[in-house]
Amino acid sequence: MKRYETPTSNGDIVLSTRVRLARNLKDYPFPARLGVEDREAVNNLVKDALLTDENRDSFDYIPMQTLTPVQAVSLAEKHLISPEFASDSAGRALILAKDEDVSIMLNEEDHVRIQVIYPGLALEDAYARAEAFDKALEQKAAIAFDERLGYLTQCPTNLGTGLRASVMLHLPALAQGGTMRRLSSTIAKLGLTIRGALGDGTRAVGDIFQLSNQVTLGISETAAIQNLNAIALQIIAQEKNARAALLKDDVFIDRIWRAYGILKSAHMLSCSEMTDLVSLVRLGAAEGILDIPLETLNRLLVEMQPATINVAEGRRCTAAERDVIRAKAVKDALA
Amino acid sequence: MLCQNCKKQEATTHIKRVINGETTEKHLCTDCAKKQGYDYDGFFDDFSLSIPNIFSGFFSDTPLALAGLRQDRCATCGSSFDEIIRTGMVGCADCYERFYDRLLPSIQRIHGRAKHAGRIPYTVVDDKPKAAADEKPQAEPTTEEKIATLQAEMQKAIEAQNFEQAAVLRDNIKALKGEA
Ligand SMILES: [Zn+2]
Ligand SMILES: [Zn+2]
Repeated sequence: MKRYETPTSNGDIVLSTRVRLARNLKDYPFPARLGVEDREAVNNLVKDALLTDENRDSFDYIPMQTLTPVQAVSLAEKHLISPEFASDSAGRALILAKDEDVSIMLNEEDHVRIQVIYPGLALEDAYARAEAFDKALEQKAAIAFDERLGYLTQCPTNLGTGLRASVMLHLPALAQGGTMRRLSSTIAKLGLTIRGALGDGTRAVGDIFQLSNQVTLGISETAAIQNLNAIALQIIAQEKNARAALLKDDVFIDRIWRAYGILKSAHMLSCSEMTDLVSLVRLGAAEGILDIPLETLNRLLVEMQPATINVAEGRRCTAAERDVIRAKAVKDALA
Repeated sequence: MLCQNCKKQEATTHIKRVINGETTEKHLCTDCAKKQGYDYDGFFDDFSLSIPNIFSGFFSDTPLALAGLRQDRCATCGSSFDEIIRTGMVGCADCYERFYDRLLPSIQRIHGRAKHAGRIPYTVVDDKPKAAADEKPQAEPTTEEKIATLQAEMQKAIEAQNFEQAAVLRDNIKALKGEA
């Protein structure tokens, strides 16, 4: 079972929690300055440090050249790797947990990017898991570190702890009320950022937002995690209030039912249309208006993305073909 | 940012390739990206892509006075400060030591005047058990301290026969002494 299919804490609002640690080996230049041979040396060193006899069976070690571009993009759609990592395979490798809750990119922007992805709000657990990998790595390899600047990273924005923690939030009621702009400027003052998690950045498709820490230097891992958790809980409380108010409105409840109707009957659905409709239906399901497991809807959000459909179909479909496949899969899931 | 291909539409697809240490970037609109075979009509966050660009932006107002230092390179990876500015990417761990003073203003613009407060790797803890704890909290360096730093750098530059750099440093020291 994949992690995003299991029910969990604050699951009505929080889709997932992600923690990432950026690390580099002291004895090699950063990836952009590293040839393929040296990159492979880094990959092997990290693989040997992190994969032990106890855990080897639950991970796959994937040299990125062994994937087709579509398979790589599908991993990016699932947020298991970055789009940039998917766009170039030279000397890169991925250590991926079989249940997809740990994903370690080798020679992305940094030599090692340890990522843990848990469902719901689980910042402390996710950080603890990432830290365990970090500790295993530093037992075996000299890590690039400076007492003033902390962990040294290719891009100075990650200096310090190299920790980026984020929470993916479904905030349809706050978005509907037009409070996101104000919220986002308040959050910026606290050293955090919130932005649309899906789409090209022009708008938050499906009202799904990613809240993450910005500052990594001068703050401890524990403090960063606690801050983020506290702000996430406040946003969750605000969203709950906004939902209660919104669901007194018959016009809005009608929109939820209509969205459900389209998802159950459409012959073609584009990814962004589906995402916006699933967002409304997910709100209905979370608030007890519709009787649909949230995990079913979470799964649609992940698995109905273009490259992931291509991978499932085993071929490169046209956009129109995918829209038909998507509509049918959605219909089946909601039947 | 406009599409590099048609120069008409807003670029929405950003492709960065790193081959043998050479980085190339492409910024295309959705139409051109499709035409060129980057048919990623899915959506995922491009966090890791936008950050280096922002960082280059931070660097863009670095004083021109530093232009004279262009030739000087990190001994470990060969990066010049100029290249770091241009790409927004630091070459290796030693670059941070080599270009520390020149990187610091940009780092402080991102993070504030902060000092690392998080974990320390075991290897470092073993080598220097109390180093991090002993250091006093970071304060604005006094003019004397700044001059001392620059003088040490100038000495290094002279030893390395990097007279161009030494001349710039000498001028900076002169300016600071005028202030004091
Ligand atoms: Zn174009
Ligand atoms: Zn270097």
